[in-house]
This record gives sequence, C-alpha cells and structure tokens, in this order.
Amino acid sequence: MRDAIKAARRDTPAVALVTTKFSPQGDFVSRSAGMPDIPRVILPHPVAGTGEKAMKMVADDIADEVLQALGAAG
Amino acid sequence: MSQRLTAASEEAALEQLHADGCTDGLPVVIPTPERVERMVLASGLDGDVSLGQLGPNLGEATVEKAAIAAVMAGCLPDYFPVVVAAVRAVSDPRMDMTEVQATTHNLGPLLVVNGPAVGACGIASGFGALGPGHRANASIGRAVRLAMINIGGGRPGTSDMALLGHPGKFTFCLGEDEEASPWPPLHTSLGFGIDQSTVTVACTEGPHSVLCFPDDDPEVYADHLLNVLAASLSGLGANNTHFARGTQVLVLNPDHATALADVGYDRATIAEVLCQRAKRTWSELSTVRARGSGIDRHQRSQGEDPELVVHALSSPEALLILVAGGTGLYSTVMPSWGAGPHGNSHLTVEIDLDQTCEIPLVMPAS
Repeated sequence: MRDAIKAARRDTPAVALVTTKFSPQGDFVSRSAGMPDIPRVILPHPVAGTGEKAMKMVADDIADEVLQALGAAG
Repeated sequence: MSQRLTAASEEAALEQLHADGCTDGLPVVIPTPERVERMVLASGLDGDVSLGQLGPNLGEATVEKAAIAAVMAGCLPDYFPVVVAAVRAVSDPRMDMTEVQATTHNLGPLLVVNGPAVGACGIASGFGALGPGHRANASIGRAVRLAMINIGGGRPGTSDMALLGHPGKFTFCLGEDEEASPWPPLHTSLGFGIDQSTVTVACTEGPHSVLCFPDDDPEVYADHLLNVLAASLSGLGANNTHFARGTQVLVLNPDHATALADVGYDRATIAEVLCQRAKRTWSELSTVRARGSGIDRHQRSQGEDPELVVHALSSPEALLILVAGGTGLYSTVMPSWGAGPHGNSHLTVEIDLDQTCEIPLVMPAS
C-alpha cells in the first residue's frame, strides 16, 4: 500500500495489491497517508510463500482488474 | 496539543478509553492534564517537541503524547527520560516500525537499559527481570507499547497484523546487570561511555530458554554452552535462519557469562564464535521449506547446493549480548524477524537524565 502511495505521489499510475485479510490494514494505511482512494485490487489470502505456480494463477486472475485500475489511475 | 476528552468520572474515562481502543486491554491511569504536565516536566523538554513519527499511522510522537502514554502505563515521572529515549528509538526510520507493526510475524521492541539510569529508575536486571513485579520495567515497556498503539496506530487485526503476538508486546524492558557481568556494559561496546545511560531497542520474538549444565572441565563447559546457544540462534523455525539477517539478542545469566569469561571469552569473541557456529546447511533447510521458495539471498545467489551453509547471524554485530537474570542453568535467546527495509537491526539512544525539572508536589484536595 505504501509503495503504491509513494508511486502515486510521483504522478506514476499505481495500484495497490492487498490480500483479503490485509484489506482493513490497507484501508488504515491509505487513510493515515492521506490517500484513502488509492486504487487497489484485492487478492486471496495468503499470497506469500504459496509458490510460483499459485502466484501465476493469481496474476492471471487479477491482470485485467489491475490494468483497469491503472487506466483509471492514469 | 493533544485532543482533550471529558468524562463524568475516572471510571467513565477508563471505560471510554477501553471502548476507543486506546488501551492494551488492561486498566490505565487516566492521563489528566495535570498528570501529563508533571510527566512532561520530568523530560526537561517542551511538550510539542517531536521525537519522530511512529508508524504505521506516522503519528507525530511529541513529548506530550509520549507523556500521555507514560501516565497511562503507570510510570513515575523519574522514568520518563527512559520512555522519551525509547520512543525516540522506535520512531527512528531505521527501526521500520511501520513494517514491524504491520508484519504477521510475532515481534515487539525489547528495551535494554544501561548505565546510571538502571539504578536511578530502579530497573530490575536480576531474577525475573522480564517477569511481573518490577514497576519500572513494567511501566516503561508498557508506555512504549501504548505509544505504538495510540501514536503509531498499531491495533490487532487492522494495523498490527501479528498472527499471534507475544506477551512481551504488553511490556518488554529490562536493565543489564552490569555488576554481575564479567565484562564492560553492553552500551560501551556500542560506542557510548560508561557514565552515559542508554536504551538499546531490538524488535524480537519472546524469550526462548536455553539450558546448559556446568561441566567439571571449564573448557568443555564453555564449548557446550556455545554449541547450545548457537543451535538456539539458528532454529529451523526461526526467520533469521531462513533470511540470514536481523539482530538477535542473547541474555546470558551471570553463571553462564562467568563460565565463558573464565576461559577467556569477552563479548566480541563470543559474538564471533556464535556467528560462525549458528548456521544450517541447505540440506537441513530443505527439510523444512518448499523448494524454489527463494526466500533467502544465499539461495537466490547460489542455487540449491546441499552443502551450502547459511549463517543465522549476518555478522557478529547482529548479536546483542547482555548479562541479566538470576544465577543458574538457563540463558535466553530472542530470535527476530529479519525483514523490513533496514533488516530488523537494533538501535541505541542516549537517555538524558540531567534535564529533569523539579516536579511540583501534588497535594491532596483539602
């Protein structure tokens, strides 16, 4: 979330990737950073440590959504 | 200036603070303006002086807000310079408190106090120093946690994402037992003078006990002790072992410290030996983690060579060694997280004991 906020502050289109369990934390961080509306895409939880194959499946599932969010951000 | 709340009574104020998520779950002392003002005075600083920004909320950790946390935690004003230094430390960007609070790993800031502040504040360093019953230890560590909750915004499940947490996240503070130690105090090895007071902060897991019985042969005893400490610092479930970085803490009880000193070890040589011995081979690591997980830099750079050795300590400086606790068979290690932009390192901040103002007496209402 912070990475996306940093990029957005440099006028770089950005979308935050947040897992379901971290969604409230993402909301908290975006509010405290003063960018509550930063675009975000919600991923299944967990992602970390699930391996390359699972990561590719997640990426396939969200690719369109990420592009859409980036388009909106741009 | 902090927001002021009103309540019909102290009992009502306490319930309000609990309801608003401003406590650690235990009762707190109500931070009335008078109590907070007395605490601020003890720092010799103005209330609006900033000690840093505390993540993940990036709240401004002013002296006044630190004083509110200290009052709530039950600190005496005499303890406040230690709290100020500790809040300064956890607000330092090098401590990565945004990431420390947000991680799913179970870690919290351990405060190690050295120098004259240990005696001046009555900070326990002997039997049960990390357990209950010591007001200074309990309230100073608790003040830092309350600052992390109310300034840093760390609340379980929404911004503090530790999967389980550990009891040291209520309070986690002790002094080094400098008198029982066979070596100069810890802070003198970190660049401070023996007359200075410091707080050294390392974010760690809870204490892990390490058993070692004496041996009739002093050399054998020391060697066994170093072996079991090294094994405990490189547990197969510990992040440090997998990430090969992060400060770990070793608390030697005075008997174990003396046993090592008797055969010629000092703090630096112990750290060097443990850095060498606290290691695992890739074949050991591969029994506990998925192939291709790529979670350590050794694996990324060198592939999956079964003979590859991964050291749990990136350098001798990644091990903080102090002497504390009662005499006996047990020393303690605190593994850590080993992640974050700055690699979960430690930081030492001087405690300014000489700036305290005279604290006005509080007279009971007649």
